[in-house]
Amino acid sequence: MATTTLSKPALQPKGYAETVANRRAKTPLSRILATVVVSVLAVAWLVPFAWATVTALKSETDAASTPISWIPASGFTFDAFAKVLQSGNIPTWTLNSLFTSAAITAITLVISASVAYAISRIDFRGKRMLMGVIVASIIIPPPVLIIPLFQQMQSLNLIDTYWALILPQVIHSPMVFVLKKFFDQIPRELEEAALMDGAGRLRIFTTIVLPLSRPILAAVAIFVFIGAWNNFLWPFIATNESSLLTLPVGLQTIKSAYGIQYAQNMASALLAALPLIVVFLFFQRQIIRGVATTGLAGT
Amino acid sequence: MSTARTTAPPAKPAPAVKPAPAAKSLRSRRDNLHGWAFSAPFLAFFLMFLVWPMISGAVMSLTGKSLTGANSGFIGLANYSEAFADSDMWRSLGNTLYFTLISTVPLVVIALALAALVNMGLPAQWLWRLSFFSPFLLASTVVSLFFAWMYNPELGLFNDMLANLGIPPVAWLNDPAVAMWAVVIATVWWTIGFNFLLYLAALQNIPQQHYEAASLDGAGGWRQFFSISLPQLGPTTVMIVILQILASLKVFDQIYQMTEGGPGGATRSIVQYIFEAGFTGYRLGYSAAISYIFFGLILLIALAQVFITRKRSA
Amino acid sequence: MKQVDSRPMQMTRRQLLLGGGVLAGSLTLGASLTGCGGAAQAAGNDIRFWHLLSGGDGIKMMAMIDKVNADHPDYRVKPTVLAWGAPYYTKLAMASAGGRPPEVAVMHAARVPGYAPGGLLDAWDLDLLAEFGVRPEDFGPRIWEKSQFNGQVFSLALDSHPFVMLYNTEVADKAGVLGKDGRLAEISSPSQFLEVSRELQRVTGKHGLSYGYLGDGAQMWRLFYTLYRQHGADFVLEPGRPAQVERDVAIDCLEFITSLLDNTISTKSGDGGTAIAEFAGSGSGLLFTGVWELPTMKTAGVPFGASTIPTLFGTPAAFADSHSFVLPHQARLDETKRRGVYQFVASMLKGSLSWAEAGHIPAYQPVVKSKEYAALKPQADYAQAADIINYDPVAWFTGSGSDFQGYFAENVQNVFLGRDKAADGWDAFMKRINTVLAMPNPV
Repeated sequence: MATTTLSKPALQPKGYAETVANRRAKTPLSRILATVVVSVLAVAWLVPFAWATVTALKSETDAASTPISWIPASGFTFDAFAKVLQSGNIPTWTLNSLFTSAAITAITLVISASVAYAISRIDFRGKRMLMGVIVASIIIPPPVLIIPLFQQMQSLNLIDTYWALILPQVIHSPMVFVLKKFFDQIPRELEEAALMDGAGRLRIFTTIVLPLSRPILAAVAIFVFIGAWNNFLWPFIATNESSLLTLPVGLQTIKSAYGIQYAQNMASALLAALPLIVVFLFFQRQIIRGVATTGLAGT
Repeated sequence: MSTARTTAPPAKPAPAVKPAPAAKSLRSRRDNLHGWAFSAPFLAFFLMFLVWPMISGAVMSLTGKSLTGANSGFIGLANYSEAFADSDMWRSLGNTLYFTLISTVPLVVIALALAALVNMGLPAQWLWRLSFFSPFLLASTVVSLFFAWMYNPELGLFNDMLANLGIPPVAWLNDPAVAMWAVVIATVWWTIGFNFLLYLAALQNIPQQHYEAASLDGAGGWRQFFSISLPQLGPTTVMIVILQILASLKVFDQIYQMTEGGPGGATRSIVQYIFEAGFTGYRLGYSAAISYIFFGLILLIALAQVFITRKRSA
Repeated sequence: MKQVDSRPMQMTRRQLLLGGGVLAGSLTLGASLTGCGGAAQAAGNDIRFWHLLSGGDGIKMMAMIDKVNADHPDYRVKPTVLAWGAPYYTKLAMASAGGRPPEVAVMHAARVPGYAPGGLLDAWDLDLLAEFGVRPEDFGPRIWEKSQFNGQVFSLALDSHPFVMLYNTEVADKAGVLGKDGRLAEISSPSQFLEVSRELQRVTGKHGLSYGYLGDGAQMWRLFYTLYRQHGADFVLEPGRPAQVERDVAIDCLEFITSLLDNTISTKSGDGGTAIAEFAGSGSGLLFTGVWELPTMKTAGVPFGASTIPTLFGTPAAFADSHSFVLPHQARLDETKRRGVYQFVASMLKGSLSWAEAGHIPAYQPVVKSKEYAALKPQADYAQAADIINYDPVAWFTGSGSDFQGYFAENVQNVFLGRDKAADGWDAFMKRINTVLAMPNPV
């Protein structure tokens, strides 16, 4: 596959298996101790999930009864999940989250990759300045923009539309930087040959560069998608109408006429967590690698 | 793109022979065109939704602009002078710095410790990564729901555990002295996986020979960690600390969701104050001014970062 | 670049297809979902209705909406519930300013001055209302007066919900303070109130009065303002001028409240939940509370009656607010939907007897004057409170769940707790209010 030709030394693993074998032999006692400590912590880290799950599987009465218990008096039940799904909001919000996150990811990928390619490969006047401005913009914290952006969306009459959710979320300057660095590593010869055969820039970009960049594109996509899926502040400001909310905003904003119901609260939270957890189980390696590659470039 | 296509063919034979001056300038003209054409989509969004709001926000901060559209006259720096005398703004800023301090330390130290432990060659690496990183994939709302429930005074898991240890119940989110710590605990649980992964990656990038040489010199595990791993992690740590500080300063979600800034404003962050000044209090102009004060603070920290890293490399 | 895993970074073909499929799938799905333009567009005959009522009130409200929907199949009212207080009011303002707000919403009448002048609300058309059988004379004078702002009607009150006093009839009987009619004997002075409370305390062995206020500015303000207005004192807030208040009266009220919180008559530091539990468990004879706690007490099975807070300082007065229907400003609204909204609100007003079951006093007089309402006990016993209700001082920043009540809590809670002098707490509160009054009015 094309990707293998790309694995430059910087991208190559560091003989990890060897490391493990090495230290295994040396310090068994401290390794056992470390395993114990890490196991205890890992279990502690799972407690919130476990407690939420147990609560969600209780009846409301059991969830609100003292003393609290891991095993409900009247047995486990899926009532809370059923009620939450019936009320209709969670499926709508999930679709909203899915759609807006996918749109944000797609647009981000297209516009970031093409600008990154231009900066990496094409000699055009002003490109150093362009790169400088993009890198400098990393420092702008999104909360600083909420007030003027709201006003802008208001005057464009876009508040409470999907446009308001999507458009301001597609600028990811750090990702441009990450992509540019990757493109820099692709051997130029591949393109020059095509260029000589008369291929246009766009064709070279789409048929040679992008396929070679699949791993980094995947990493960027994952990073952007997770960020968009979980973003709260801007969607919270851009939308009010219940049928337009994303999952995190809907869960926070829309209340039940019945008042607080603990089992249903936890059931909703778990249903909201589910899609990304499933995605994580499928793409665990890519996600972890993607975070490690793109993470330091800035969140 | 049609213009780009038409200009392409004449340049084709050029590389074959020594490029003539005319071909060269043609090529650079074509490159200019292509370069900006490829940059245009990003640039359009960039100008529309980043540069323009930065400018309009700055202008707005000099006006009395209201959410209702009323009162939009130019008032000079009045918003800024009001903000600098606004005890609520200072308090929110203080809360934000306090949160940043007490969240950054555990988020860096615990992440490093976890990564170092896991890197000792534990079996089932994926399992540890899964446990510590999976909370990072949750939306803030989900995390807040989980923790608000565990912090519940009567029905919560935390007070139940305290009771089992014979400790009187704590009003986690309702006690001004405790609420911020409660938020930090939830935040550490939520986001530590990110720093953990970065540290793990950095640790695994340290060349094995370093350790081999050290163990030939008879250095034990602890000595190896402090004399090799830690110095090697220096640059990573600087980056993680800076990213963490910048991320913590922006805190809003989990605080707003768990305490709404309460009790009595004890956990209100500066971003929440921006939100409230603008949308609850309608004062968009004033809120824009506070946004810029906040931005100034971020810039200062970024400059300090540049200064520190320059000094280190010098 | 850093590597975590030992395998080179690369997706399998299957994963890539899956990922791409998810992305493409959700995009097409979204496109069909957004329809044209992707704006928040309620379906043709849907009326979007926002309110902030949950728990007992929320369930009642839901039942009333269901009934209206069943009676009028030509449109469908879709309620959305947001969290009471600042979250609700902030979102309502944002939605109105954003241009696609719900067609109708509930708002506390005292909050209207923060919304109407800024153009966030549309005024009610009285002619159209009359067509659906709702006329100005159907409302009590104080409520009708409150529904107007600058000469236009911006809010239509569903109810008034005053701050009242519940009393435990059994405890009162034992203490000898129950009248022959089964109602609490009249109390008309501060000292008499202290006396009666102490009598009640002797019976319960715990407290005479339950009053929870910790961390709840609204609750502190409700009692304070009731007593303040009983002195006949005014409280005027005009932007650009310091607040016009009677400082001596205010301090007197605060000191009186503090004298109740002596751990005998009432606990010094009680929160709302504790107070309700105490009264429900017959741990006290009196409870200062909003009428909305009535259903809780009925469910608890405690024998109780209700009255307005006794007139201790000469002028009968009760703090109250109203849940009112308002029309968030619409850029354009088609005529059928507009009529639907009016019909919905008219039906809700006419059906407000069931709202009265939740404790609130219906604003719609034909309901209050009905036999059915007279039979509702103890609701009917405090129906006259509607004639003595006092809304928050008028200003853009006052009203239920507003910053104003938050400022009160910040400065006065320590007075209630006995940590600060009444005069100091009051002066600090006034200083805060005057700062707000000095700021430009953003509405």
